[in-house]
Amino acid sequence: MKRGLITWDKAELPQSVFEARLARARAALVKNDLPALLVYSDVWRSNEGRHLTNYMPYWNRSLIVIPREQPPVLLCGLSPRVYPWIKSVTVFEEIRPASKLVPTLLQLCAERGWTKLGVLDLPRLTHEIYAPLKASDLQISDVQFDLTDEAEIAMHRRAEQMAQEILAAELPRGVGLTDYRFSGLLERAFRRAGAEDLVLLFSTDDSAPRPARGTMLGDKFSVAVALEYRGHWARVRRGLSL
Amino acid sequence: MAERGWDSMLLYGNAWRKDPFRSLVNINFSGDHALARLSRSGEIAVTFSDPWDAETASAALQPDFVRAFAGGASAIAGLEFMEERFVAACGTLPISATADVEELRRVKTTEEIGYIKQACDLADRGYQRFVDIAEPGMQEFELVAEVEAFLKENGAEDNFMLIASGGTEVVGMKPPTDRKLQKGDSITTELTPQVNGYYAQICRTLVLGEPSPGQLKAFEIFSEAQCTAQDLIKPGVTAADAARAQNDVFRKYGYGDYTGAKYTRVRGHCLGLYPDETPHILEDVDYVLKQDMVVIAHPNTYLPLSGYMVFGDTLLITETGNTRLNKTEKKLFTK
Repeated sequence: MKRGLITWDKAELPQSVFEARLARARAALVKNDLPALLVYSDVWRSNEGRHLTNYMPYWNRSLIVIPREQPPVLLCGLSPRVYPWIKSVTVFEEIRPASKLVPTLLQLCAERGWTKLGVLDLPRLTHEIYAPLKASDLQISDVQFDLTDEAEIAMHRRAEQMAQEILAAELPRGVGLTDYRFSGLLERAFRRAGAEDLVLLFSTDDSAPRPARGTMLGDKFSVAVALEYRGHWARVRRGLSL
Repeated sequence: MAERGWDSMLLYGNAWRKDPFRSLVNINFSGDHALARLSRSGEIAVTFSDPWDAETASAALQPDFVRAFAGGASAIAGLEFMEERFVAACGTLPISATADVEELRRVKTTEEIGYIKQACDLADRGYQRFVDIAEPGMQEFELVAEVEAFLKENGAEDNFMLIASGGTEVVGMKPPTDRKLQKGDSITTELTPQVNGYYAQICRTLVLGEPSPGQLKAFEIFSEAQCTAQDLIKPGVTAADAARAQNDVFRKYGYGDYTGAKYTRVRGHCLGLYPDETPHILEDVDYVLKQDMVVIAHPNTYLPLSGYMVFGDTLLITETGNTRLNKTEKKLFTK
């Protein structure tokens, strides 16, 4: 789960990057003649929302609404007590409490006079959100646009570099440890380096990597790392054979 | 299934909500999706979206996971968390089995309780580690990194953890920031390690240095509230009763305003394959607690005396009461 350092380093990802991304989203709205875009976000499905706003729900779900001509709005399942922190690490100026996401969304649409709404990657919207939206008077349609840009690629490279460097430095230390012990060692190194999330899998032979289970790592093993650094994932697998 | 007239049931899990799947097939998959198909006669077929999971479990692989839903089923546990394209692939809209399966999950087996006890032991040791290493100058995320490392070293599959540090300005917990701990800080945390799928939790508050009179007074209130709930919880008591017992302590001391949604979330919750299982301990939840359910009672909230404070333990409901599964001393920790 997400439990590492979640932050917004504006030297790394300037405000202008997000402005350009939001402009691309708005261009897609214009192209599709839609007043606003809905982006679903939860603990696991956070990449699209993070790309557009730098928001990542460390817990629970949220809906991001990007109007065509107004600032984005976050409909948030988290407590208002953490909104100041959310505002400090995202582009949001407006956050609405939304213990019930869809009613809050429908209320926002009614306030703004929207009768239709674009949904980023509609087929992948969770049923819990899709079903009541579909049953409402709101007309929803799928919106797709390119979410890749140079800043995104640079951040993935940074994540991959971090994974490669830490694995290269730490891998020899795994010899003679259990995969549990080595998991701890890697967790410490990655989290201290700023990893937000980390998935570690181990293999001691030619079989598929799997989560740690107390297996002793000999002088031949491999580690597969999925690392999230500031919203950007990298997957790296490295082996050691002495 | 027979009671409901269901011929087949699917149990779906994704990387966030693995629990519906793991309630039947307890495999810690690492890919995006997993699906178990259960027939009324008891046959189970498992499909994963990730080849490593499929190989490890000797189960079917379906990289185009939409196809795993072909033929649909009478009902699905985890339907709410499924992508709509998966639901559409079922053909006729299935019934949600989520609530039924969650109710089955609430009462734990001996084996499940064993895993939760192991997780509690790890939570206790993890909190001791937390206290041992916290020091002025350390950044919150460094402290969390050390605790995560300790828990993983000792066999935790995962851990849900929030933290906050500071004084009366702190109104809630969140993921760690780069804030440096300072003398006089109140450091709140909830640790929720997972062992073989099952979570247990501990909530404690640590003061770096001498606690202020406000922090000491606040802890007395939190301690009394938690103890009142712990004394009360047994089969037949409702979640509402357990919440009201805690809130009444705050009301008695004139802090009733701080028991509402503006300052707090819940007064506890159940634990199991998900770290925040229902029913939540809230005054409007009339669910009757049962033997062998596992709950945490935690009157965590903001008080102007101290800022946000947390205090709670995992409780196993027994035939006549409950057993506290955490062994960590019930006190305001200081260092």
